[in-house]
Amino acid sequence: MDSGFWILQFLNAVQFSMLLFLLSIGLTVIFGLLHFVNLAHGALYMLGAYIGISVAAASSSFWVALIVAPLIVALIGAALYITLIDRLRDAGPMNQVLVTFGLIFVFLDLVRIGWGDVALGLSAPEALSGTSRILGVQYPSYRLFVIILGLAVMAGLWITLSRTRIGAMIRASVENGDMAAALGINVGRLFFIVFCVGCVLAGLAGVVAAPVASATTGMGISILIPTLIVVVIGGLGSLQGAIAGSLIVGFIETFGAVLVPGFAAIVTYVLLAAVLVARPQGLLPARGGEQ
Amino acid sequence: MFRQTLPRTLVLLVTLAGLALYAILGGFFARELVVSIAILAILAVSLDVVAGFGGMVSLAHGAMMGLAAYTYAILSVKLGWPLLPSAILGVGASAVFGTLIGWITGRTTGIFFIMATLAFGQMAYTVFFKWRWLGGDDGMGGIKRFDLGWAGIDLDDSLIFALFALALLAMVYAAAAWVLRSAFGRTLSGIHSNEDRMRALGVNTVLHRARALGFSALLAGVAGILAAQHVLYISPELLVWTVSGEVLIVVILGGLGTLIGPLVGAVIFVLLKDAISDYTDHWHIVIGLLLIATVLAGGRGIYGQIEHWLSRRISSPPEPEEAGDA
Repeated sequence: MDSGFWILQFLNAVQFSMLLFLLSIGLTVIFGLLHFVNLAHGALYMLGAYIGISVAAASSSFWVALIVAPLIVALIGAALYITLIDRLRDAGPMNQVLVTFGLIFVFLDLVRIGWGDVALGLSAPEALSGTSRILGVQYPSYRLFVIILGLAVMAGLWITLSRTRIGAMIRASVENGDMAAALGINVGRLFFIVFCVGCVLAGLAGVVAAPVASATTGMGISILIPTLIVVVIGGLGSLQGAIAGSLIVGFIETFGAVLVPGFAAIVTYVLLAAVLVARPQGLLPARGGEQ
Repeated sequence: MFRQTLPRTLVLLVTLAGLALYAILGGFFARELVVSIAILAILAVSLDVVAGFGGMVSLAHGAMMGLAAYTYAILSVKLGWPLLPSAILGVGASAVFGTLIGWITGRTTGIFFIMATLAFGQMAYTVFFKWRWLGGDDGMGGIKRFDLGWAGIDLDDSLIFALFALALLAMVYAAAAWVLRSAFGRTLSGIHSNEDRMRALGVNTVLHRARALGFSALLAGVAGILAAQHVLYISPELLVWTVSGEVLIVVILGGLGTLIGPLVGAVIFVLLKDAISDYTDHWHIVIGLLLIATVLAGGRGIYGQIEHWLSRRISSPPEPEEAGDA
């Protein structure tokens, strides 16, 4: 195993981390703002992949799918918010877990009915189907695109949260929702916007993941656990936490699969258990001193 | 607080008698269903002890069941131990696992507790999934049922085994009711209602929660032994977290914090699943919508809702709500 092998693994780890980031940032900000546990977030990711495949087939363009599918997922998310999520905000974590667990089942069967129970592929766009030379190795261009997209979303969210007015409103509401509302921030509308943006990112992650690993009905459930682990390890509600958590889990899972085949998942679970016991608020929580 | 009221006792006896009658009159397939119901009902009762009365919503109950089943299989098949001691040690291993989880997570509540149990459950799942000596993801077979020939009982007969499963269910329910009525059970309910106050009263809440989870895991272990002896084969699929999620659904559908509700929920769940799968493969969507509807309707569950109506109709002062949010 030469250095090129390790550079490839490094790039794979970064690419997986970016996918985890796209999913976990929505989940964590929704949790931080609304105190809402959305187990159906993985189902939205799955919907993103399937809708993306259909849009790409209809428009014969990956790029159209990359834009349109996340927006459709956001519409579905908006409908969910109005019918269910808004009512459950004060219902306690157990009811939220139960209802969104029910939604996983519903979406699972809807996808089976709509697309069938077979794995569907989506081919990467022509321009990205080859390999590129980076850090001295040949690396699939599409995976490189995933890394760049993840970094771009990360930068965009960072600037939005730290430099813009709406970012300040979000940070204030995570810190103390009642006080933010008292200061005249329309917290309800803010929640709605943040929830929809989270759905867009989940849908985006789904479309982006489809060419790397084909879309299956199990993908939503299998990505949910690593995403939740990222959120808890990183700290609920914080962008920095989601970044750190995604990188930690992405690197452990990728390098673990090479170094200790089969037991990478156990390392992740041990880390999660250790964080929950020693530092339940996560490594980089949005709020200091609570929990 | 738990009360074994007259309606609850009646429902218990009628349900058990009905299932026994179904097993006696029905064919082989009916008996298979009765065993499936008994296994799920034992798990649901065991989860209700901690979730309904201690506020500890666990997603590790599948793993507890699987750990008992695997311990039983390792001792009896791989090491050739006698069956009954293997089963007792299997249930014991599950109880130790539950106690450990409870002790480690002693101070976490709400969503953090749910996540922690998820992590420990998945850890156990991954170990058995990857362990080639135990067959890995292929699982392992060669498991035997108890030999009760000395008492003239042949558990390899499908009817006898169904009745044996029902007897275990009755024993598990009785044990759960007995523990919940004890001083320990009252203390557990107290911790659920107001943990700070119980601590101020000098109660070691971490110890109590660990013991409660250990007891619950012990009951889940009984389900594991039964499941292993039912199909004579075990696989890591017993331990995966969605199994625990399904048990939680059963508890909610039946009525969290009523103990008998989850038992009724298991009957309805298995029969409904069986009935729906005659018409369509998509029973998930039915269960999903049913679960959402149950929670939106107030989350009392089927038995809990009936009990709620009854207590209003006889216009006695309504019982204090036991099932709060976790």
